[in-house]
Amino acid sequence: MTGLLVKNAYVIDPLSGVNGEIMDIAIRDGKIVEEVGSGAVVIDAGGCLTLPGGIDSHSHVCGTKVNFGRYMSPEDMRAGRTARKGVMHVTSGYSVPTTFGNSYRYSSMGYTTVLEGAMAPLEARHTHEEFTATPHQDMLANTLFDGNWSIMEAVRDKDVKRAAAVVAWTLAAVKGFAIKLTNPGGTEAWGWGEDVHSIRDEVPHFGVTPAEIIETMIQANELLNLPHSVHIHCNNLGVPGNYQTTLDTIGLAPDLNRERQSLYLTHVQFHSYGGSTWKDICSKSEEVARAVNARPQVAIDMGQIMFGRTTTMTADGPMEFKLYMLHHNKWSNHDVELETGSGIIPVYYSRKSLVNCVMWAIGLELALLTKNPWQCMLATDNPNGAPFVKYPEIIALLMSRKLREYEMKAIDPRTEHFVPLFAIDRELDWYEIAVMTRAAQAKALGITRIGKGHLAPGAEADIAIYPLKPDELDPAVDYQQVMAGFAKTSYTIKRGRVVARDGEVIVEGANSTIWTRAEVPPEFDLNKDPEFVKKFEQYYTVRMRNYPVQDIYLPRGVSIRTEASL
Amino acid sequence: MRVILKTRPRAKPKIPIEAETIIPQNFLRKNDIRVYEGNKERKLEDLFYVTTEGPAVSPDQVEVILTGDTGVIKRVGEYMNAGRIIVEGDIGMHCGNFMSAGEIIIRGNADSWLGREMRGGVIRCEGDAGHYCAAGYRGEKRGMRGGMVEVLGNAGDFAAEYLSGGEVHIHGNCADLPGVEMRGGTLTIGGDCLRPCGNMTGGTCRIFGTAHQFLPTFRRNGSEVAEYGGKRYRMAVYRGDIANRGKGTVLIRE
Repeated sequence: MTGLLVKNAYVIDPLSGVNGEIMDIAIRDGKIVEEVGSGAVVIDAGGCLTLPGGIDSHSHVCGTKVNFGRYMSPEDMRAGRTARKGVMHVTSGYSVPTTFGNSYRYSSMGYTTVLEGAMAPLEARHTHEEFTATPHQDMLANTLFDGNWSIMEAVRDKDVKRAAAVVAWTLAAVKGFAIKLTNPGGTEAWGWGEDVHSIRDEVPHFGVTPAEIIETMIQANELLNLPHSVHIHCNNLGVPGNYQTTLDTIGLAPDLNRERQSLYLTHVQFHSYGGSTWKDICSKSEEVARAVNARPQVAIDMGQIMFGRTTTMTADGPMEFKLYMLHHNKWSNHDVELETGSGIIPVYYSRKSLVNCVMWAIGLELALLTKNPWQCMLATDNPNGAPFVKYPEIIALLMSRKLREYEMKAIDPRTEHFVPLFAIDRELDWYEIAVMTRAAQAKALGITRIGKGHLAPGAEADIAIYPLKPDELDPAVDYQQVMAGFAKTSYTIKRGRVVARDGEVIVEGANSTIWTRAEVPPEFDLNKDPEFVKKFEQYYTVRMRNYPVQDIYLPRGVSIRTEASL
Repeated sequence: MRVILKTRPRAKPKIPIEAETIIPQNFLRKNDIRVYEGNKERKLEDLFYVTTEGPAVSPDQVEVILTGDTGVIKRVGEYMNAGRIIVEGDIGMHCGNFMSAGEIIIRGNADSWLGREMRGGVIRCEGDAGHYCAAGYRGEKRGMRGGMVEVLGNAGDFAAEYLSGGEVHIHGNCADLPGVEMRGGTLTIGGDCLRPCGNMTGGTCRIFGTAHQFLPTFRRNGSEVAEYGGKRYRMAVYRGDIANRGKGTVLIRE
């Protein structure tokens, strides 16, 4: 293979310690190398901003609930239609586009790796089928354990090793990547028509608390040496006054891993509300950011909302029911036997709504008040806060106080009494944006070791070249150019191949699905565990032998093997 | 300005044309208007003979006339906010969706979802209308919210489902379940209908024919006289749907 040479690139590669150097990047066989021969194809980046491929560490793009969001909002599918063109399939949808729509839009923004935020183990096949149809991004799946009966029984018995064994078996069976806890205990309580309201509430019928589930799973995660930490959607999402639950949850995180955080809190904007009702809701981003700043063992993502129409979808069934009681419109509610649940509601975030304006401000505040950008990643919990195509706009808001002031004039004027955003002057720079959109994600997900998120020799050649010249632009003033530049790359390179040029996908994709296999000692292999087998025979509607996802569902599966310390 | 769109002969005339871009404001701006023929995007001129007469300075002054094989054209007038569209024949599904102002006149029949979730303006269909006339989208709890839909012929099932505002007038008969889940607005049915107004919580429905299988969950609340077609009729007044704690009014000719 002749290779590819990207010349005159303005490179920011935080994981390699590169900040704004004009460099050449050599690529051969899909990897970054020291040099290539003279016959290599040359791309002249012309001093434009060149970053490792973007990584979204929390997005809902594939799976059963995503698909349900598609067909419960036919009006959404009318938006964002593009005709078949070259190698590009027909696409449609705005907040919940078709899989190819997601893939092309991510690719044109320079994103090459995406983590699906929540996969119900029992319904993993559907997720993997949609991963295959998201061809331009390597995909990973957070696997839901929040209401898993076997896990809760292990927690009740204070048997961390058994919890680890259940996680190891399940991740291997469903080809999942990491542990996801969504409203731990609450989703199972919702199956009984109840919810939990603090991390010390008891989950009905199981005799455990969310705090015990979280603590046990953090320990189990580290016993299995999984690449990512426990990924948590805290209890009480979207409830005024829920910041206390968030602080309590942060307080549970021990510092167990030297390479990454021990607990990843997702869409923290939705968990940083003060007040006691919707009438007095206010921002508690300062308290939450202070707690994050004080604990390097914690990482978060913003969960930024942006104004406009979108679709909310989560495994947090009781939260979606509360949202339904506010909107009294379309609502879907779903239970996944012995494991988890979900709910879906289309919403419209309005500048005229004080609550929505406070939410909008909180997301930005979290990013601006968290001192270390490695601890706060840019995400909208796509599509819950906003479709991911809004990322460039969020980047511009973080880089320009002037743009924020402009936006603040357009929102409900009462907002300033409830949020500190109006007093924050910080403007992020190019390096911090590079950290918050790829490097921090790679580190948090633990995928730097497989060559993600950086451009050092040996890394995967996933590269985004944006039509932005940092030396000539002042992002604080030229925010329109920043938005336009991050919306469409000049080149998106995936595994050494140019896949998108000037925002248009030009080749068929061939992505990989990355999953985790934790090797456990034979005594912890649950395939022959009588109690575990009995659970399938007594309760599941599928047989144990039919439960695992066959390899055929992952045409290009990449497994990360770990040795469990059990 | 008058824009006349006459369909061109097509090799496969049954393939539907999706034409939400056919709204008066688009012709004022003289945009490159594109429509879909099946899954293929086409220029408007590829599927229609386009004739433009006279000037216009605002969308109110634009009149679009559709002629030819118009029954396969869907979504005409979607999100329309000014001007007039005249269809010299039948029209396909979803005509006038989300329309907020202006006027659509259909000389023939209209397929399903005519005026769905309409906000304002006037639609007049001189033939029959299909199912879900002036209704809401699937799962949407508010259907038509303003404006007027008038059908001189009959309407299919679920006419004015989730009606929340505005006026719907069906001169002929309605099929099953007209006015179900009504929350506001006025529905007038000149002919017969089947099982009207289930789960109704607000608004008024007037039925000048026979209401077959009228639900028992409405409470009789006296009589009154209503005028329709130049004649005065004595109407039985019902309130309900009690099963849904509804406060709607149904008037049925005695």
